[in-house]
Amino acid sequence: MSSFDALAFRQFFPFFNNNPDWVYLDTAATSQKPQQVIDAELAFYQRQNSNVHRGAHQLSQHATAAFEAARDKVQQFLNAASRSEIIFTSGTTAAFNQLAFGLMDTVLKPGDRILISALEHHANIVPWQLHCQSHGVQLDVIPLDPQLMPDLDVYQQLLALKPKIVSLTQVSNALGHILPIGSMLQAAKAAGAITIVDGAQGVSWQVPDVQLWPVDFYCFSGHKLYGPTGIGVLYGKQRYLEQLKPLLGGGEMISDVSFQRSSFAALPARLEAGTPNIAGAIGLAAAIDFIRQFDARQINQYKGELLQQFAAGLSQIPGLRPLTRVEQSAGIVSLQLAGEHPNDLAMLLNEQKIAVRAGSHCAMPLFAALQLPGAVRFAFAPYNLPAEVDVTLQALAAATEILR
Amino acid sequence: MLQQLIADTATGLQQIAEHELPLLQQPADWQSKYRLLMQLGKQLPALPEKMRQTEYLVRGCESRAWLLHYQEPVSGKHYFVLDSEARIVKGLLAIMLCFVNGKTGAELAELDLSRHFDALNLRPYLSQSRGNGLTMMLQRIQSTIKA
Ligand SMILES: Cc1ncc(COP(=O)(O)O)c(C=O)c1O
Repeated sequence: MSSFDALAFRQFFPFFNNNPDWVYLDTAATSQKPQQVIDAELAFYQRQNSNVHRGAHQLSQHATAAFEAARDKVQQFLNAASRSEIIFTSGTTAAFNQLAFGLMDTVLKPGDRILISALEHHANIVPWQLHCQSHGVQLDVIPLDPQLMPDLDVYQQLLALKPKIVSLTQVSNALGHILPIGSMLQAAKAAGAITIVDGAQGVSWQVPDVQLWPVDFYCFSGHKLYGPTGIGVLYGKQRYLEQLKPLLGGGEMISDVSFQRSSFAALPARLEAGTPNIAGAIGLAAAIDFIRQFDARQINQYKGELLQQFAAGLSQIPGLRPLTRVEQSAGIVSLQLAGEHPNDLAMLLNEQKIAVRAGSHCAMPLFAALQLPGAVRFAFAPYNLPAEVDVTLQALAAATEILR
Repeated sequence: MLQQLIADTATGLQQIAEHELPLLQQPADWQSKYRLLMQLGKQLPALPEKMRQTEYLVRGCESRAWLLHYQEPVSGKHYFVLDSEARIVKGLLAIMLCFVNGKTGAELAELDLSRHFDALNLRPYLSQSRGNGLTMMLQRIQSTIKA
């Protein structure tokens, strides 16, 4: 048994007091927020609110200091070599759109290839597609093996085609599977590729040390890490960030503008056009402070125990077919009820106040490959309790009873 | 093919209106309510695979549904055939169709569907936030009859 005190952890989240009837198993979509994150955002607006980097007044200087301190916090969190390698975005999706736009023309030339896996979220598919065709760039996909992980043999073959970019998710949002990201990144580097990791699901499982990992870009969203919505991070190694063409133009990102041309400011400002989400960045810094109080190993062990308890209970309910292999999951169990559409199961769970997600989880190509209409996803977090697992299993039994 | 489906749908809807709708108005536990909804969906014919084409597809949030339409040229009445991948959604769509099928454009313009759903204690399912495709289907029906 892990020594992690889930009940104490849960006390930090006011959401649960306000929703005592609900079992929240949708943390993969967004996590709940601890009081200190809510307080940090509130305090900024109540006491400090001013725009950053521009006011001549001292208030703006204070706001700027708080915003830039949030950047330092993220730098420490990821162990980035420099604070200018941390770009604030609105989230993972925005980060990928900047990457896909910014690498075309500058790094990617006609005939080049990009390699992703079959487990990617649409955020790591669609932004590439938006530009691939018009730029003559080819998008290749690593297929799944029988364990529903990337097929590493085919991966090696695809690397032999010398992709310029290898872009992989750390953890699958649809199945919860943890990719062997370390060895996959190493292989990509050995093949000469620029490496990108989608950390939206993975950052709460394992925070990367971006100087140790062979990763050139790493993206995550604050709201899946106990932080606010509307704030995210694009980390990039300086020499690669410098090659990115800015997706957004406007204030703050330039050094000089005339009607003929503009010259750009230095990083990180060059990739942060317009007024940023100041309160969001401060909230994210508070979330990082919050999560760093706890031992990640203990948290992961505790989540593993919840998954084991859930999986054992599932095997007692006839007709349920987990797609997730629990031993390789970061906290998600996706399942199917034989012959039934996932939406029916999810509606019956919703009726019993179990918050889950059903469908293809923004990973339509994955479910097309599995030839399934989707799945019902149960996403566990350290604030979930063993008693909630039991309630969920009872609700599942009642739901399958009705559908039978 | 379409004519047969329309005839079968009309028969099914009549069954639902006579037998299941009155049952829905009676108090029951939630399990019975859902059993009834699924049973009611079964009264409508299944759309053959070859007719589940993109042009008829109505995307809900989490499941797919299809809508086919026919306007009787003499009376101007609108007839529909629909199907859904999800059983509960199909039941809810069948109830919706009870109030829509065989009506003229003028009658449909007057229709207050939320009043009917209120009476059946099904109002929450009609709201947009549920993302179950009912609102999408209603919009498709409205745009279809205007076309
Ligand atoms: C793996 C993965 N990538 C990207 C995203 C997109 O994140 P956001 O919606 O915060 O931009 C998500 C969120 O669902 C995700 O799970």
